[in-house]
Amino acid sequence: MINSIIYEAQLIGFKEGIKAGLVWLVFYSYLLSNDRKSLAKSFYTGISLSLLLGLSFLLFPESPVSGDFIGNIISMSFALFLIFSGAALYHASGVDLFVFRDGMRSEFVIRTLVFSLTVIFFLPDFTGSAVYLNELAELKENTFMTAVSAAAGIMIAAVIIFSFVRLYKPFWLGSFFAFPQLLLFLAMVKLFGSGIKGISELSLIPSVQRGFIKFIHDLVHQTFVMLMVPDHPLLKKTTWDFIGTFFGPGFASIASLFILLALPALFINHTLFRPLPEPPARTNIARRKTRALMLSDRRKKAVPVIFFMVFIISAWFSYGGEKVLQVYDPEPRPVVADNGVIVIPLKDPVTDVMDGRLHKFSFVHEGEEVRVMVIKKADNSLSVCLDACEICPPSGYGQRDDHVVCLYCSTPIPVNTLGRAGGCNPVPLAADIGDGFIRIELKEIIKKWGFVNSGR
Amino acid sequence: MTNNKSFIQVRNLVKEYKTAYALRGVSMTVEKGQWINIMGPSGSGKSTLLNIIGGLDNSTSGDVIIDSTDVEALDEDHLAIFRREQIGFIFQQSHLIPYLTAVENVMLAQYFHSMADEEEAGEALKRVGLGQRLHHRPSQLSGGEQQRICIARALINSPGILLADEPTGNLDRDNTEIILELLDSIHREDHFTIVLVTHDPFVSKWGDRVLQMEDGHIVGDEFIKERVKGA
Ligand SMILES: Nc1ncnc2c1ncn2[C@@H]1O[C@H](COP(=O)(O)OP(=O)(O)OP(=O)(O)O)[C@@H](O)[C@H]1O
Ligand SMILES: [Mg+2]
Repeated sequence: MINSIIYEAQLIGFKEGIKAGLVWLVFYSYLLSNDRKSLAKSFYTGISLSLLLGLSFLLFPESPVSGDFIGNIISMSFALFLIFSGAALYHASGVDLFVFRDGMRSEFVIRTLVFSLTVIFFLPDFTGSAVYLNELAELKENTFMTAVSAAAGIMIAAVIIFSFVRLYKPFWLGSFFAFPQLLLFLAMVKLFGSGIKGISELSLIPSVQRGFIKFIHDLVHQTFVMLMVPDHPLLKKTTWDFIGTFFGPGFASIASLFILLALPALFINHTLFRPLPEPPARTNIARRKTRALMLSDRRKKAVPVIFFMVFIISAWFSYGGEKVLQVYDPEPRPVVADNGVIVIPLKDPVTDVMDGRLHKFSFVHEGEEVRVMVIKKADNSLSVCLDACEICPPSGYGQRDDHVVCLYCSTPIPVNTLGRAGGCNPVPLAADIGDGFIRIELKEIIKKWGFVNSGR
Repeated sequence: MTNNKSFIQVRNLVKEYKTAYALRGVSMTVEKGQWINIMGPSGSGKSTLLNIIGGLDNSTSGDVIIDSTDVEALDEDHLAIFRREQIGFIFQQSHLIPYLTAVENVMLAQYFHSMADEEEAGEALKRVGLGQRLHHRPSQLSGGEQQRICIARALINSPGILLADEPTGNLDRDNTEIILELLDSIHREDHFTIVLVTHDPFVSKWGDRVLQMEDGHIVGDEFIKERVKGA
C-alpha cells in the first residue's frame, strides 16, 4: 500500500522535476547564447508562482478543478505553443508578423512575455499533478506519505539535472535554439510530458484529430444552418458518406499530421534550402567565414525543428494513426416493457453498463425497432438516450474513444455532452436510475421516438 | 636583437631528441611581410624550426610568439584555429589528394577553414596559371603544376604566414624559377610573411633575407639588398 503510494507519487514528482529541469536547461542555454542571462529572473518568478499556485491545490481536499478540466487546459496550452511557434517559425523564415515588430521588443514586453509563457507552460502541469496527487492521497488515505514521496521524486530529478549540468556543462545547447525553436521545444515537452497521470497519457495527437473532425463537421453544418436549410434531410446518405470522409477519422488523422507538420516543413524549406544571402564583407575570407557561420547556424537551428517533425511522425504512427479509426457498434440487446416501464439492470452476469462502453437495448413497437443507448460519462453519471437523433434517419450511433459518432452522417458527439437535446444530439430520455436498475417509462420512449426522422 | 613588435619572435628555442639536439637555442625575429630564406646543410634543424613555428611540432624549451600569440601555450583546439587562420604550408612533396581534382583540392582547404567555394577556388588556380587545369587530377599534372596547386591551396585562406619546406626540392631549374617568380609576384600583391627552407643557393636569390643554420644554431643572418626578380 505504502509502497505503491511512494512509487506513484515519486514518479509524478520526478516527472515534473525532470520536465522543469530540462526546460530550464534549454531556456537558460538559450539566454546564455543570446547574452540575455538577466531574463532568467522572469523565468524563475514564473516557475515559482506556478509551483506555489499548483501546490496550493494540494490544500483543497475537494479539489475545485477536475482533472478533465486541466487536461483540456493542457491540450490548449500545447496548441497555443504550437500555433505560436508556427507563427514564429514563419516569421523566422522571413515573413514579418506584426507581433514581432521591433517596436514591441521593449524590455518590459520581453520580461512579461517570458514570465507569462513560463506560467502558461508550468501552471497547468503543476496543477494537474497536484490534483492527481490529491486524488492519490485521498484514495490511499495517506496525505503525508504522498506529499513526501512526491517531494522526494522532485529532489531526485533535481539531483540528476544538477549533476548532469555540472558534469557536462551542456550550455552549447543554446546555439540550437532561436525563439521559435524554443517554443516548439516547449510544445514538444507539453505533448510528451504533460499527461496528468504519469507518462502514459500521450493523448494529444488524437485530441488534435478530434478537434479537427469536429471543426470540419461544424463548418459544413453551420453553413447549412446559416443558409437556413436543414442539411440532414436535404443531403442523402451517399452525400453524407462523401462529406463524412472529410471529417471521418482517416482523413482527420492524415490532416492533423499535415497540420502539425506543415509549418515546420515550410520553415525547413524556407531556411535550409534558400540560397544564402551575400554578406557585406571586404575580403573573400571574411565573406566565406560569414557565410559558413550563417550556414552552420541555419543548420543548427533546423535540428530542433526536424526533431519535432520526427517526434510527431513517430507519435502519430505509434499512437494516433490507427487508434481513433475504430468505431464500436454493439448489437442491441432485446428488452421488454413490464407494466409500461422498461427496466434495465445496471449489472448482470454478462454486462456492466457502467464499464464506459456504449450499450444498446431494443424492443419492437408497432412493427418498428426502437433503440435506447446507455453510456457512462466521465463524471460517473449515466446518460440514457434514444439511439437516434431528430435529424438523421435512425441509423444510430457508434462509439469512438470518448465520442459517439452518428452512423449516418459521421458527426462526432462528445460523450460528456450527452443529454443535450436537439440537432445532431441523441435524443435524451428521462430515466430513473437507482438500486441497480435503470427504469424508463415506455410512454417517454415512444413519444420521443416520434420526433425521430423516419428516414422515409 | 628581439623586438617586441616583430611579427614572428623565436626565443632560445631548443629541440632535443633522445639521441640528439635538433635546435640548440635559436633566436630570431621576422617582420610582417618579410620573405626570409633559411639555408643550411642537411640535418641542421631547418625543418624542425619551421614545424615548431607552424605549430606542427613542440619545442623542448623556448618561446614562439606570432602576432602576440604564444603558439606553444595554445591548447589543441586553439592551435587548430591558429593554424587554420594564420598559417599556410607548402612541402617538398605536394600532399595533394590523388583522387580529387585541382579545384577540389583547393576547395578542401576552404572547407576545413570555413566552407567550400568553387568559384573562389577556381580564381585562385587561375592566379597561379592553372585556369585550364581546374578539373585535372594531380596525376595528370606535372610536378611544377602540382606545386602551383599547393601554392593556391596554401594561400586560399589568406594566411598571415606562408611556411615552405623545400618547395622546389623536386623541381628542375626552369620549374623552380617559375614557382619562385609566381610566389614573388603574389607576395608583392598580398604582403604575407614567408619563411622558406632550402638548401639550394639558387632559391635564395628570391626573398629579403637569408638565415644560415648549422647544427641547431643560427650562424648567419644577411639581408639581400636588391631583390633579383625577372632580371
Ligand atoms: N623524430 C626525430 N627523432 C630523432 N631525431 C630527429 C627527429 N626529427 C629530426 N631529427 C634530427 O634532428 C636534426 C634536424 O633535423 P631537420 O629535419 O630539422 O633537418 P633539416 O635541416 O631539415 O635537414 P634536411 O635539409 O635534410 O631536410 C637531424 O639531426 C635529425 O636527424
Ligand atoms: Mg628538412
